[in-house]
Amino acid sequence: MAKLQTMDTQSRMLLHFEVEQFLYQEAKILDERRFDEWLSLLTEDIHYWMPIRRTTTLAQVEDEFTKIGAMALFDDDINFLRMRVAKMASGNAWSEDPPSRTRHFVSNIQIVDIEEDGDIVVETNIHLYRTRLESVEDSWIGRRKDWLRRDGDNLKLARRHIFLEQTTILSQNLSNFF
Amino acid sequence: MLDSRPEVIARDSWVDVNKGTVDRRIFSDLAIYQQELKRIFARGWNFICHETQIAEPGRFFQSYIGEDQVIAVRDRSNTVQVLLNSCPHRGNTVCRSDQGKTRSFFCSYHGWNFDLDGKLVGVPGYEDYYREKLKKEDLGLAKAARVQSYKGFVFASLDPQAPDLEDYLGWVGMVGLNLIAEIGDMEVIDGIQKNRIQCNWKLAVDNLYDWYHPKVSHGSAVRAGMINEQGLQYMNQMVMLGEYGHGIGGAAITEENLAKLSDTLEKGQEPDQIDKAKVWRTTEKAANAMGPLGIRCGGHPNIFPNLWVSAAGPPQLCLRIPRGPFETELWWFTFAKKDQTPEERRATVMIANHIFGPSGLLEQDDGENWSHSTRGSVGAVTGERPIDFSMGLGQDKMTHDSESGQSCIETVVNEHAQLWLYRSWEEWMKAEDWPALIKNHSLPPTGKV
Repeated sequence: MAKLQTMDTQSRMLLHFEVEQFLYQEAKILDERRFDEWLSLLTEDIHYWMPIRRTTTLAQVEDEFTKIGAMALFDDDINFLRMRVAKMASGNAWSEDPPSRTRHFVSNIQIVDIEEDGDIVVETNIHLYRTRLESVEDSWIGRRKDWLRRDGDNLKLARRHIFLEQTTILSQNLSNFF
Repeated sequence: MLDSRPEVIARDSWVDVNKGTVDRRIFSDLAIYQQELKRIFARGWNFICHETQIAEPGRFFQSYIGEDQVIAVRDRSNTVQVLLNSCPHRGNTVCRSDQGKTRSFFCSYHGWNFDLDGKLVGVPGYEDYYREKLKKEDLGLAKAARVQSYKGFVFASLDPQAPDLEDYLGWVGMVGLNLIAEIGDMEVIDGIQKNRIQCNWKLAVDNLYDWYHPKVSHGSAVRAGMINEQGLQYMNQMVMLGEYGHGIGGAAITEENLAKLSDTLEKGQEPDQIDKAKVWRTTEKAANAMGPLGIRCGGHPNIFPNLWVSAAGPPQLCLRIPRGPFETELWWFTFAKKDQTPEERRATVMIANHIFGPSGLLEQDDGENWSHSTRGSVGAVTGERPIDFSMGLGQDKMTHDSESGQSCIETVVNEHAQLWLYRSWEEWMKAEDWPALIKNHSLPPTGKV
């Protein structure tokens, strides 16, 4: 946090702009189904994770999400993400052929920390809208926590945690990237 | 439209066991669905949870019997209770968490409070408003008529006439559960994956026996390198059929394979990766629990009506919970030995998270096949055309092991277990009550099948 607090307003605004443009570009790449290009935005040590959420009382709300190491909805390393992309390109991935029509909305972007190793921690709200075939319509809203790492002139995604608002997933699958 | 008055349901036949066909109206008709809730879900033994999920007094887990919401909870005397989650006063739910720990169940409407065994212990205004005229002892939470565990798996029935759980499961159901229980001292890993598919629950269930579809439906997972092509060669099939609709379909493990594995272990050698997962099968305890045919079972059991035991990879259970004729909820429970090393646990979780569940590389592609099969049952013309389960019908033989009483069909890919599921389903639907079902249900076939 120290690093972030010592930055002047102008530097913070420049960093914010860079982060925002990176996230918008990533969303566009996903919606245009340029998945190989999307993979190139990720670091080799990425962890892409979406825990399971359940309804709990306020008193037990610390148990709302499963922890890392327990069951999850996504729990992927780079190899597994490559496998998901290879699957979609295989020519017989029926859940995405005909392809889903998706639109990613990223908002409420906040840089919340710059870690010791330089990773920029960004929290955003996310809305992924999907429709497919005649009448399948899904809408997932949630919060993302991303760790972005500088790589030369670019940023790369080093870690992504996705916290959906749904507990029981109200769709037939989760065959898209968040 | 189908005439769905009860007497017509009793008269009509939907499953033609000679042709191997099933009337598609059973996937869309509302009266049939309502009859299923009564005659199949409320009557049968339903998996509720595993004892490790409610290990201490006050721990609870919410589940469903058909569309009836139930709470499994360990009470103060350490007994597992299965309570209907509906306040006797106005019917409101008294528990709104999926799981957790509590001292009592409190109704948020008027404040009635229920002990962990369902007893009504608190009524605001009992003296002032009710003037002590309320039969509190009759107004506890309704309990499941029968609750029993088999090796840690908690089941409940809403029908007091249900036979004992072990009689219900029979050897086929027990082989199914033992595929998990006999691995070791098991627990549920935290996190039940839940999602909804727009399909009739029966089409999700019959798919678990279906070893015809993986090459096509899940071909992309092979091409992506998730599963190897060899894993999809299913010429060596073993089908077991049990009373009341239980069944197992899928790969057989050969006697030679198990003998070779025992030999490897005796010599103190390390088995290969695939055989490692079968080591538990070489113990005498497992052989006794599973029986001579059961011990070779490498396929997919279904405990009728809706509990899939998936144990070819990480041991998992999948419940297919009905949400009306056109919607089904899938709940995945993942199991592991309590004494796994952190590395072993990590491997179990990684594989389980990536095969099934809504983002699983295999399961992603199932939903639309099932929802569109369901949708096709609504059309005036398509709905009138039966669907076909005739693969292998009349071409195979049931072999019987007289000493153990176990029997199986060893053959190529087939649809025997699916047809057995629908045949049994019809018998459940036609039986007025448990005595009628016990009297009139089919015994698994012998000889030519």
